[in-house]
Amino acid sequence: MEERITILNKVEELAVLAGRIEELAEQWELPMPLTMNLNLVLEETVSNIIFYAYPDGNEHSIDITLSIVDGEITIEIEDEGIPFDPTAMQQPDISLPAEERPIGGLGIFLVSKIMDNVSYRREQEKNKLTLKKKTEL
Amino acid sequence: MNLTKNSINGFCVVNIEGRIDTTNFNDFEKEVVGIIDGGEKNIVLNCAGMNYISSSGLRVFLIAQKKLTALSGKLHLCEMQPTIKEIFDISGFSSIFKIFDTQEKAVE
Repeated sequence: MEERITILNKVEELAVLAGRIEELAEQWELPMPLTMNLNLVLEETVSNIIFYAYPDGNEHSIDITLSIVDGEITIEIEDEGIPFDPTAMQQPDISLPAEERPIGGLGIFLVSKIMDNVSYRREQEKNKLTLKKKTEL
Repeated sequence: MNLTKNSINGFCVVNIEGRIDTTNFNDFEKEVVGIIDGGEKNIVLNCAGMNYISSSGLRVFLIAQKKLTALSGKLHLCEMQPTIKEIFDISGFSSIFKIFDTQEKAVE
């Protein structure tokens, strides 16, 4: 099973994306906790693209492909923005007490914890991020 | 997202309903910071109706904790759904916050 979703680089589009994931979850009969996690990893990765990938301020599209093969979910996210490798970001120190925890920097960390594998490549002037997770499906 | 407030046992109890995400965390932050700036030092965030949170929302929880710690106040969370609790666990937030199973315990 495979589904392709294309959205624009606007914050409002995150709600459109979440709606599409809910629909897909129903079609594919995904359990609620998994759906929430997929929504979360997509919001974290796609919001980074929306906020930082296009300093020109123009409208661009972001392509997202979701598929399930033998119980493994694969999400591929492609954009034509400036090169950005989320896997190279510094991981936050989650053992710090509240007073010392920096505000922010958690998004990509959550993605790497929820998914089994996160990989990035720059190809044909595009950022391509692939997220994989094994499920019981 | 929808927030309702009531006062129990000296705590301002805020019930969170729905999603807290990149599209609405600003509203959530304004409300919570507004409550603290309004003079409430002891706050319970009842998370029973919260069915989604992303890092933008977690950020607001951390801001509230920092503000209340600085004021020697209390921030208690309660009745979190298991999927949400998992996100708090992964983030290391479960050790930062006081999380109670029931609202009754959170306002003690």
